Amino acid sequence: MMALFPVLLLMTSLVPAVITFFLAQESYRLRNSLSLGGAIVKVVLIVVMLFAVADGAYYETEFPLAPGLVLLLRIDALALLFISLSAILWLLTTIYAITYFGTKPNLSRFFGFFSLCVAATTGLALSGSLISFFIFFELLTLSTWPLVAHKQNEASLKAARGYLLYALPSSAALLWAIVWLESTTGPVLFTEYTDMGALDPMSQRAIFALFIFGLGMKAALVPLHGWLPTAMAAPAPVSALLHAVAVVKAGAFGIVRVVVDVFGMERVTSLGVGVPLAVLASVTILWGSVRALQQDEIKKRLAFSTVSQVSYIILGVALASPLAMIGGLAHLVHQGLMKITLFFCAGIYDERADVRRIDGLNGLGPRMPWTSVCFSLGAFGMIGLPPLAGFISKIYLGLGGLEAGAPWVLGVLAASTLLNAAYFLPLLYRLWILPAADDAKGDERTPGLVVPAVVAALAALGAGGLAASAISPLGWATLIVTGE
Amino acid sequence: MMADIVLWTGPVLPLVALLWPVLMAGLAALPAVRLRSIRLLPLAPLPALVLALTAGEAETMAPHLLLGVMLQLDESGRLLLGLTAALWLIAGLAAQTMARQPNAALFAAFWCLTLAGNLGVFLARDIATFYVSFAAVSLAAWFLVVHDRTETAQRAGLVYIVIAVLGEVCLLLGLLMSAHAADSLEIALIRMMLGGADAPALALPLLVIGFGIKAGMVPLHVWLPLAHPAAPVAASAVLSGAIVKAGLYGLMQFLPDGQGMQILVVLGAAGAFLAALWGLTQANPKAVLAYSTISQMGLMILLIGTGGAARDSVAYFAAHHGFAKGALFLLCGMMLSAATQSQRRACLVVAAVVAASVAGLPLSGGALAKSVAKSGLTDELALLLSLSSVTTTLILVWFLHRLWALPVAETAPERWRLRLLLPAVAGGLAFVAPWLLWAGWSDQALGYNLTQATLTDAIWPVLLALPIAVILLRKALPAVPPTLPPGDLLLVLPRWPFGPVSLPEASAPSQQLRAFGTVTSALVAAAEHRLIRWSLTGTILAALVLVFLAALAFGSL
Repeated sequence: MMALFPVLLLMTSLVPAVITFFLAQESYRLRNSLSLGGAIVKVVLIVVMLFAVADGAYYETEFPLAPGLVLLLRIDALALLFISLSAILWLLTTIYAITYFGTKPNLSRFFGFFSLCVAATTGLALSGSLISFFIFFELLTLSTWPLVAHKQNEASLKAARGYLLYALPSSAALLWAIVWLESTTGPVLFTEYTDMGALDPMSQRAIFALFIFGLGMKAALVPLHGWLPTAMAAPAPVSALLHAVAVVKAGAFGIVRVVVDVFGMERVTSLGVGVPLAVLASVTILWGSVRALQQDEIKKRLAFSTVSQVSYIILGVALASPLAMIGGLAHLVHQGLMKITLFFCAGIYDERADVRRIDGLNGLGPRMPWTSVCFSLGAFGMIGLPPLAGFISKIYLGLGGLEAGAPWVLGVLAASTLLNAAYFLPLLYRLWILPAADDAKGDERTPGLVVPAVVAALAALGAGGLAASAISPLGWATLIVTGE
Repeated sequence: MMADIVLWTGPVLPLVALLWPVLMAGLAALPAVRLRSIRLLPLAPLPALVLALTAGEAETMAPHLLLGVMLQLDESGRLLLGLTAALWLIAGLAAQTMARQPNAALFAAFWCLTLAGNLGVFLARDIATFYVSFAAVSLAAWFLVVHDRTETAQRAGLVYIVIAVLGEVCLLLGLLMSAHAADSLEIALIRMMLGGADAPALALPLLVIGFGIKAGMVPLHVWLPLAHPAAPVAASAVLSGAIVKAGLYGLMQFLPDGQGMQILVVLGAAGAFLAALWGLTQANPKAVLAYSTISQMGLMILLIGTGGAARDSVAYFAAHHGFAKGALFLLCGMMLSAATQSQRRACLVVAAVVAASVAGLPLSGGALAKSVAKSGLTDELALLLSLSSVTTTLILVWFLHRLWALPVAETAPERWRLRLLLPAVAGGLAFVAPWLLWAGWSDQALGYNLTQATLTDAIWPVLLALPIAVILLRKALPAVPPTLPPGDLLLVLPRWPFGPVSLPEASAPSQQLRAFGTVTSALVAAAEHRLIRWSLTGTILAALVLVFLAALAFGSL
């Protein structure tokens, strides 16, 4: 039974996905029950496991795929951090998506791929070996494509095409890295020390670079981020999931795995690849913010903000000091909670008030108070204002930077804070202070959209306000870093 | 695993005092309460008031909150907490006239958040709690400043938020560096570390900038004369009376024990005199008061910079100033709503009494505050403090003049006389509280205040100032009418985004800046475009192949 846990987790989204594909457009009730049921079962499973894993237990399942290739699923603290995030946000997004789409066309296709996408995310979180990770990583690429293209208008088809054009070369690079590495070391398991003695340092660096190239595209590292803002053509629930947990997080999570479990922090430091990665992450943080500042569309601004924020995670990992690692891992969750709040709200503004551009936000605060309070909380969190989650990440990244002997990180954090304030505060000013246009619409009597946003915002608030408790993302990240 | 969770240790009241206003802020947002949310305001500071009156030395810990919340009150913190809670209570009662205004709920919610932050600054003993509180008081107050939504208020809000965010960043960096060097989040340990030889060079300056901005330290004060007058009267009262004290207390908390800081003495003295004189150029009585605040804060910063006994007297001095300044701001509101001559006269009399106390007239609370402060100063600095009473008297006489010049209201609101009680009580506290607290803050017996030397010391600056004030009012100022807008240093930065105040489009960036922005913006966008195209083609892969081959070549060497 215990060994089956990883498989069960995967099944909670895989089974609904498979069944949903065969449902008729009209079977709303069955489709919704499947998606919601799967999401709820998964959350329950995870809660059960959280307690066990906190006490040091771990679960493992193996399938032989081909000689020398095993599909290894295991649950450790790091996997669970990512799965809990994805499970909770998937549940919220499912509720949101059901209301958002209502009776729009092609729902079985949408929810089928939606569940498949989550199954892939779960799978790559659970992967215990490089090759399993790669399989789910590619499944994620493919299952996301129909979601981005879902609206089938010109913009979304273009976005989906762009996404693939980015994804395929980077997947090739990733595969290249894996094959190159495993050809000398044998199958790489995340639990076991990888002996790279057969590779000279330069080759190791090249493999590391290939890994970063392959994973960095999904993590939207500059200059591989171009697909992300374009992908805004997708429907709001897709953007929410894409930005908070599915694709960009998969990339960031992959980089964490590569640094921590494939190369190991000591080797990353001794090869001297940590600092260049930290610099690349810093450049991405600042570049994303500068570009966000120039956007007039809400979702585009949020998209560039994702480019910037996801690199906090990579920065934390690349600095390779314990505190920075904790900050980076905690930010994996923090950014997810805050960003999904913002995208939920952006979707509500779009659906309920017909507002897509920043100047449309004027005076919406008092008209749509729940949405706007959530949006404000998300924005405050992104700037890193206490007591929201982002502030905890920033404190740990800053302390970690000093610990790693890289005081310039403080400069990056300061500049990023100022830029974040510069592109988020004007939105709040518009929402709350400026008067509404005379023909402004806006009501938020759609609990299916508003409640997920409120829950996500409260979670972001709780992650910061209760950071010191053991069950907070920070507490969990501390367990991962100090327990390993 | 669940059994050993301890929510808090030590007395619970400090936690309640902080969480209660936050709860009120949440309540104000609820639809059922929204219309009556202003009614909640007087309730918000009550637990903190009880705490200030009853607190002991015990420490409260809430290990799961933030990064482990630690709360405790020292003598100064307790006095300032009491001042803050009492002043917010009075101002909350005064704000009741705003109940029917639009956006009242928004105002109420941010009022409560600002209050929670203001109280937290005095209670926090770890930097996470401290930073949370400080950010709350800084940023939530933005909504109080812009509440009226007039052009002046919006401009003031812009200047305010830009400087406040800069201050937050300085503070955060300073705190991070200190926490790293001290290897602790505890303020007491950090203070000790900052006094040691291996303190990071930048930490203290960054902290001083962060706190100095909030405390209105010259030359970081430029936001203050814009923001304090722009806010609604009740908010101005707490901004000038209580919120600036958060910055002051930050300086007291983080500057190493027993050490002075020369630069603070210089900047404090500069602020004390220059701001008082610049205040004479202001027409709006609230702006005059804002400059008087900068001047008084300058004195307090001077005391902190001197260190030793002078630094220990700051809270006593600050408590008097807080009550007095709160009362004077509230009186501006009363005068604006006064319809009859007798009402206006009542207003002026109360204002004159409170102003006399700030100027340090013998036997007033202000005189006591100054004599305690002087006991820790060298003779030269004590003389400087006496001389500052001259400029203080001048600016306050000017304030009374401008207060009287306010237009007469057509009808006074109901219960006007009852509402006059609020500033009267605040002013009364300014007069009386220093007497009541004397024993805890001075080595001298209470009778010391009645000796001839003390009386002479307090009266001569006022006597010196009054003839000058009469000449200024009669001759100089009517000849040169005060038309300068508030903002002093901002005025000499015409090309700055905030521009000169008198221009209507002042809040928009200037031409050059806009052109520069457009060019940069276009460049960045073009770079982005190129990056995207570049990576879409196979260029990156080709480059990687080259890198790969190079690596192989290196590897085989």
